[in-house]
Parts: sequence; C-alpha cells; structure tokens
Amino acid sequence: MSMDIEILLKMLIFPGGLTLIALGLLYEYIDRKLMARFQNRIGPRLLQPLADAVKLLAKEEVVPIGVIPIFFVSLPIIAMAGALTAGLYIPMAGLTPSFSLPGDLIIVVFLLGLLTLSIGLAGANTADRFSIIGAIRTLTQLFSYEAPFLLALLCPAILADSWQISVVHESVLGQVWLALPLFIGFFVAVIGLMGKLELAPFDAPEAESEIEAGALTEYSGRGLALFRLGKNVELVVGLTLIAAFYLGGLANPLEFLLKTLGLLVVVAALQALFARLRIDQTVGMWWRIGALLALAQLLIVVILKGVIL
Amino acid sequence: MPGTQKEKFIIPIGPQHPALKEPAHFEFTVDGETVTSASVRFGYVHRGIEKGAENRNWTQAMYLLERICGICSHAHSTAYAIGVEKLAGVPAPPRAQAIRQILLELERLHSHMLWVGVAAHEAGFETLFMYSWRDRETVMDILESFSGNRVNYSANLLGGVKYDLGPAQADSIKRGLDFLEERLHYYMKIVNNDESFLRRTRGVGTMTTAEAEQLGAIGPVARASGVARDLRVDAPYLLYEQFPVTIVLGSTGDLHTRFVVRIQELFESVRVIRNLLAGLPEGELTVRFPRRIPEGETISRIEAPRGGLFYFIKSGGGENPIRVKVRTPSLRNFMSVLVGSVGHQLADVPMILSGIDPCFSCNDRMIVVRRQPGKESVS
Repeated sequence: MSMDIEILLKMLIFPGGLTLIALGLLYEYIDRKLMARFQNRIGPRLLQPLADAVKLLAKEEVVPIGVIPIFFVSLPIIAMAGALTAGLYIPMAGLTPSFSLPGDLIIVVFLLGLLTLSIGLAGANTADRFSIIGAIRTLTQLFSYEAPFLLALLCPAILADSWQISVVHESVLGQVWLALPLFIGFFVAVIGLMGKLELAPFDAPEAESEIEAGALTEYSGRGLALFRLGKNVELVVGLTLIAAFYLGGLANPLEFLLKTLGLLVVVAALQALFARLRIDQTVGMWWRIGALLALAQLLIVVILKGVIL
Repeated sequence: MPGTQKEKFIIPIGPQHPALKEPAHFEFTVDGETVTSASVRFGYVHRGIEKGAENRNWTQAMYLLERICGICSHAHSTAYAIGVEKLAGVPAPPRAQAIRQILLELERLHSHMLWVGVAAHEAGFETLFMYSWRDRETVMDILESFSGNRVNYSANLLGGVKYDLGPAQADSIKRGLDFLEERLHYYMKIVNNDESFLRRTRGVGTMTTAEAEQLGAIGPVARASGVARDLRVDAPYLLYEQFPVTIVLGSTGDLHTRFVVRIQELFESVRVIRNLLAGLPEGELTVRFPRRIPEGETISRIEAPRGGLFYFIKSGGGENPIRVKVRTPSLRNFMSVLVGSVGHQLADVPMILSGIDPCFSCNDRMIVVRRQPGKESVS
C-alpha cells in the first residue's frame, strides 16, 4: 500500500506532475523574459505564465462546428499526459528517475513526439483553414527534426552501451562533458529541441503573420491551456535530457538548475538571433544539414568506440 | 471570380488578421504552400473625408485632410497647403517652405523606420522589429519637441507654418540625426549580411523594371525596380531645387533591394535635413492669406514616404473647396502585390504585402465604376 502511495506521489507531486508543471511555468517565464530583454522589451512578470494558465483553464472551452468533439477534447489531454509521463523517466532535479527500464530513451522520445503529433491532429481535426495549414506544417516539421534529434540523443547512449536513460546518465556523471568531444551531437540536440517546441526560428507552424495561431487557432480555454502547459513541460524535460546526456550529468538539484538554465539562456539567445525560416527552408535545412551532421556524429561515435574499447 | 474557384483552397487574410494592422481583405488561393492567385477588396475604413472637406472652409479642410494617414500626415497637409496656395497665388515664405521640407524628410525617416520594423516582424525577425522601433523614437521625440505632437503635427497653415525652428531645436535635431545615421548604418549591415533574413528577402516578390512600369508602381517600390520616379526630382516643390535629393535606384526589385533602397533614401533625407538646417532662409513664417480663394482648379503632387501623393483641388471662389480629390500612393502599388505573390510560398505573402508599405485606410475612397453604359456600381 505504501508503495502505491509513493508511486502516486512521484507521479502527481514530485518529481512528476505538479513539480513539472511549476518548473515548466518558471522556465516559460525565464525564456520569455530573456527573449524580451534581448529584444529591448520589458517582458512578463514572474507570475504571468501562471496567470495565463489559470485564466485559460477557468474559461469555457468552445468546441467549434465541424470537428470530431471527442478528438477535440481528448487531444490536449493526451499531449499533456505524454509530456508529463516523459518527465517520469528522466533524472529530474538530479534525482534518479522515478521509473526506469531498458530502452526508456526511445519511450521518452516517443512521448515527446506525442505532443507534436497531438497538435498536428488537433489542427487537422478542425475545419479552419489556418489550422489545416498549421497542422500540415507541424507534421511536416515533425518529420524533419525527429530523426536527427533521436540520433543526437543516441550518441551518448551508444557510448554508455545502454538505451536506458538512468544508465547513460550514471555513465556520464563526473566525466568530462560530452558536449565538448561530441559538440556536433550536442548542437543538433539543442536545435532539435527548439524545432520540437516550435520556437523561433522554427515557428513556421504558428507564424502569426500568415496563419494566425496555426494548428491551435480554434482552441480556447482548457484545451489551449493544456497544450501550452504540455509545451512548457516538454521544454523542461528536453532541457533536462540534453543536460543529463551532454553536460556531464546532473548530480544534485543545484547542478540541475544551473545546467538547464544555462541551456535555456542559449536557447533564448538563438531565438532572438534569427528570422523565421519558411517551412521548405526548415525541412531543407534539417535533411540537408541536420540529418547529415547527426549521422556523421553517430559514425564518429561508433568508430571511436570500436577503436578505443 | 469566387464562383469559378470553389474547389480551390483559399486562405483569407483580413479584414481582421494579425498580419494586417488595418483592415483589407485578401484572398490567396493556394496549392499546398504555393500561391496560385490573389485578389483584394478594400473599403472597410471609408471615412468620407473628401466629402467632408467640401463642407469645411479652406483652413478646416486642411486639418481634416491631415488625418487621412497616421504616418504621412504632414505630407497630406503640405500637399493640400501647396495646392491651395497655388490657387490663391500666395506662396508661403521661404523659411516656412524650408521648415515644411525638414518636417517632410523627418516624416520619411519615421515612416521608413517603422516599415523596417513591420517588414522584419512579418519575416518573424522580432529583434530587428524591436530595435528599429526603439530607434525610431528619436525621430518621434524630435517631432514632438518641435510641434508638441507625435503624429499629427498640424505644423502647416495656409500661407506658412505655425512653429519656428530655433537654434536650440536645430541642435537637438542634428544630434538626433547623428544617432540615427549611425543606427541606419547598422540596419544596413543587418539587412545586407544577416543570412537568415536574406533567405526571406532575396529573390522574394521580385518585380522587373518593365513590370513596375506596367503595373504603375511608384515610390520606393518602383525605385527598387529601377524606375526613376521621384517627384522631389521630377517636379521639385518647396525648396527641393535649392536643396536637392539624389534619386536612389535599385536594380533587382526584390524585397532585399526595397530594404536597401529605403534605408539609402534615409541617408539622403538626413543629408537634406542637415543642408536645410545649415542654410535655413531668414524671414517671416507666414503671409496674410485670403478667406476666399479665386475660382479655379489645380493639381498638387508631392513625394510622400510611400510614393507620389496626388491632390486635385477645385475652388468655386468661395470659402469652401468644391472638390478635393486625393490619390494616395499605396493604391498604385497594390497590383504589384497581387501579381507578385503568385508562384510564391504562402509564407512569403505577408512579406510581399508589407514590402510595398501598404497604408490601407488611406486608399478607401468611393469610386463609381462604369462597367457597362448605363449601369453603375459603387466600390
């Protein structure tokens, strides 16, 4: 019985559930604030993301005409659940993952992809023209960054001889940061995460000057809040995963905060630097450069491993 | 023709859309992401200004006409004032003309800098947007310190200007210009060198010289396509003969060239303002102006930031104008958007649209279209 309560606590309070959501809101705030300061704006207050989330959750969810209602309502929940579940398999706050099994790296990457998939399906489900174009772009983009991102995360896994996140994490703890020797993989992983989260310059799926809010144009109230929270959680999970693999692991909560926030600064700076890429440019860039870089990195890792070990 | 395109996928942009700051309705037919045809509809902000001007006396009409455009307000009131002064045969004194010209060029500075920001925003380049608008505040501050207003300066009077330009103000303008010139060099560098931005501007919305001539483009859009068309040079008004500008021409006619042409025009503006400040004629600010204007009609044209601004003014010898007809420059550039966006990606459409620096509300006039004899329709 006590075992069940412990699992429930882990899933709902710490390190999953509420903690993940709170961290997600905090990271969203930091991201927005940094972006604003880079762009010479003032930016939001600390509680703004929370206020947005609470306000949206309290609002009525309008189900538009022409959708399949069950999909419309359930897709945000699936997306959110996917992101939160992914959080249970990663070394949150430097602690051992709540759950661990061989091959959970693949599960986490799939769960993170579930969010994007849900957004794409949600857009395709509505009859709105902006949503449909947005959905097409979301799914097109999904196919472009997903493979390089996975390959980039596989490099440390291959070095550790395991596809289990906790094992990979322990193998890099205290070692020299993998981001230094495997800088190509690190680079692809960070850019891949930005693509996953549809952050600028990969925000063509929600380019407001063309297609308003993209796939989520018809969403309001609870559905929109869940999608946004899901993205925030995914931001935390993604940063944690990259920091755990490439930045010498996360030994304690302080290290976790420092390393993930450091990565967040890099991500925010990259967002402020570039003009938005068109969807054809995004896809072209990922398959012409991103995928090749990730493959080259994988090849280097495999060869080095064969030579050294 | 909406009936024949029923099976196509049409993306409506406007009348309410985040890309549009003013209402207009565009319909872009897309095939996947590629635009196959485009159409436009105006008229959402028709304000009856031309009719309103007929019911006001000559002075009041000027204040009304100044409100046609929120960005080039001084261009409108100057075009009107020059026309009315021509009708009355009472030109404004040289000092007043110089001050008007300084304001016109300051207005060009703030208009083009605003455009750089808007166009960058459409490309998703928020950082450039924020930076250019921050620096634009320098011009706004100069204009505010001069007239007390940021947008409608109401600096013109019939027969002169209201405000004088003292040495202290001239100094503050010069300081502002020094700062702006430095920033403009920086923007020029970004526009020419930022790889991600160039990918969104180079080769996008290209209009050849022949096309620009054929579509009747004017202003920086035409000049970027190599059409030497600038009223400041072709038909100098105010003191543009003594203090001339050099016409800035591009060759390729794509968005990137339009950026370069507009920023280079600003260097010209800065130079002209400096020359004017150095050689500001002495004398009165105003002359006595009659209440009634002799019967007659005239055309007054000036180069607004977006291109040639056209005024037709008719007097019946009374205290009111009988007819004021305004043709704003944006109207002549819209065809280039409709033609230019075909074949481009949907993502480029907002860029192409903002590339002409459209000013929608300025366009909205009532036009009676005679399609067949006897049948009239209003649009």
